[in-house]
Amino acid sequence: MTTAAHNNRLPLTALFGVLLGAAIMVAPLVWTLLLSLKSNSELMRDSSAAFSAPYTLENYRAILVGSDVPRWLLNSIIVSLGTTAAVLMLCSLAGYGFARLDFPFRRTLFVFVLLGLAIPEQAVILPRHQLFATLGWHNSYPGLILPGLAAPFGVFFMTQYFRAIPKDLDEAAMLDGASRLDVFWRILLPLTLPAQATLGVFTFLGSWNDYWWPLISATTSDKYTLTVGLAAAQMNYAQTSGLGFLMAQAVFASIPILIVYIIFQKQIVQAMAGAAVR
Amino acid sequence: MKIKLLLATLGAILLSGCQSDDERPTLVVQRFFGECGAVYGKSIDVGKAETECGIVTTMLNRFAAENPDINVKVNIVAWPGYAQLSAQIAAGDPPDLVTMHQSVISDYQARSLLEPLDEMLADAGITTEMLTPAGQRGTIKDGRLYALPWDTIGRLWHINTALMAEAGLMRNGKPLLPRNPEELIDHARKFKAATGKPYLVQAQVAAPDYLVANLYTYLLAQNAVVFPDARHIRLNTPEARKIVGLYRTLNEEKLTTVAQDFPSATANFVNGGGGIFPTGTWMIGPYEEAARSGTSALKGYAVAPFPQLWGQSAAFVDGHGWVVPKDDRSSAERKAIVRFLSFLARYNSDWTRTGHLPAFNAVLSSSSFTQQPHRRDIATMAATGQQLPGFVQRQSAIQGLIGEELEAAVSGVKPIDRALADAERRVNELLSQI
Repeated sequence: MTTAAHNNRLPLTALFGVLLGAAIMVAPLVWTLLLSLKSNSELMRDSSAAFSAPYTLENYRAILVGSDVPRWLLNSIIVSLGTTAAVLMLCSLAGYGFARLDFPFRRTLFVFVLLGLAIPEQAVILPRHQLFATLGWHNSYPGLILPGLAAPFGVFFMTQYFRAIPKDLDEAAMLDGASRLDVFWRILLPLTLPAQATLGVFTFLGSWNDYWWPLISATTSDKYTLTVGLAAAQMNYAQTSGLGFLMAQAVFASIPILIVYIIFQKQIVQAMAGAAVR
Repeated sequence: MKIKLLLATLGAILLSGCQSDDERPTLVVQRFFGECGAVYGKSIDVGKAETECGIVTTMLNRFAAENPDINVKVNIVAWPGYAQLSAQIAAGDPPDLVTMHQSVISDYQARSLLEPLDEMLADAGITTEMLTPAGQRGTIKDGRLYALPWDTIGRLWHINTALMAEAGLMRNGKPLLPRNPEELIDHARKFKAATGKPYLVQAQVAAPDYLVANLYTYLLAQNAVVFPDARHIRLNTPEARKIVGLYRTLNEEKLTTVAQDFPSATANFVNGGGGIFPTGTWMIGPYEEAARSGTSALKGYAVAPFPQLWGQSAAFVDGHGWVVPKDDRSSAERKAIVRFLSFLARYNSDWTRTGHLPAFNAVLSSSSFTQQPHRRDIATMAATGQQLPGFVQRQSAIQGLIGEELEAAVSGVKPIDRALADAERRVNELLSQI
């Protein structure tokens, strides 16, 4: 064993602590998964039946067969991807503008954008709902995507990232005859990819998990997102007589998020670590 | 090439949302009760459907099949669906028919958001006299019918007769129920001494509706005026103190389960953890099945309305109804609604398989209802069942506030007087803001 490898080994107590922490974190997930694989009538009598066979996929069948789940899944994908793509585009442009361009009231405008961070969604949801009703945007993809595009955190995040890139790069490129668009598109934007990935992942997750706005904007079944659709599919007293189905819904709704997490694990961890250091 | 293909796919998906022209009148039916397309997605045999979701899904399938000249669109909403309904009304795009709890009707009717249905129901061949007294009380506001009542739901005493027999509390095959508060305590002590188990299984955690149903039921039994007007509640009264005091004694002497929510209380009752579980009509089916299967610890099962402990026999009930939000509708659309209301009335008997009581007198006395397990034992609730006065708004929020205070009172966290005074104050504050 090398010295470096030896130095990287965790002390036994720390290892035990990490394993204990991991077990505590994983336990509810395993519990949810096991419950989802049991029949509802068995769980109504005793939820600890989750720890013993027989297991069944009946609850997953109930979700997938004869329901609108595929449609809701598609809606969630369209809304989440649409929101993410638009937020990345707008925040990158805005971030570049605030970081690199000099224009009247730039600082005032930036402060104005940041004030958006202090306004909770609940404070604007009624006028927004009325506005969208007047414009006829409810029960439409734009109606679900547009509210997510107001992303003051994204603008702030990208502005800070652009500011951290040395201006020498812009000047060198311009001396070589590059236009401002070329500098943005070919030089700076590729350097912001780690930030784009972080912002993209958080935007996607936020949009995917959003419940409140889709609940009151998408009021016809064919426009439900997965979160609203799965909630609508629950029967009354699901916690008692439909516990397995309820848990299968939770597992099913988290699968796409899990996939996103696995693919972008590195960026998410970097973003978390970065936030912690700052 | 790949980008073009992607764009074409996305375009096709977005265009798929566009509607084709359909000259048929459209009927948008919005309901809760969940989604069960896997089992009932294509079923039209209403007589064979089970569960709330199964029966309502099959009924809607059947209506669509029987009425090809109507474009039926079904919206299933997250229970109870009132956030969505309010949003739809605010956006000027309400559905045509909506399931609504009778206790919620006042919230919308008071703001003139619902159509009075007297004329449409008359056109559908439904008169007020055809409805049960509880159904009428739940849907008539200011002298007009604002919903087609669909059922009456309330709390019952679900009884483990095997344990009651062990405690010597059965007579001629029927459970012996208390006739006054002292007798209840006496039965409960006797039951515990004989079986070692609590007399009552109760959901007292995160279940405000449960505690409030007990309180309302026995206040109604004592003819107490709970809401003297639309802006005030009267709770800190001798009648209320007696009721809360009884439930506190049960807790103090451990004659009831404590610290259980609804799912754990349900499991406890099925596993023979106590004698009587006062919970809803909707649990008759699952408990009957558990008792019949022979695989659970529930070896004998009976149900009864809440016993008469004070004054007269009473039951606090609610119910489901079908309402029509106000909107501009064509004559053809109104006729479609009338046809749907008539269809609903025709299948009210099937709905009683959910455990709920029917909304029609004819169904109440029919063999299709009375021959179902235990229905004869609870049929009186269709007459005795009472809701809060029709002018009381925000009933669900009020339940939440009172339930919190009752939980504190019966568990001993607050003195009874203070809890009732606090409940009264908080509800009055809420009502003053309407």
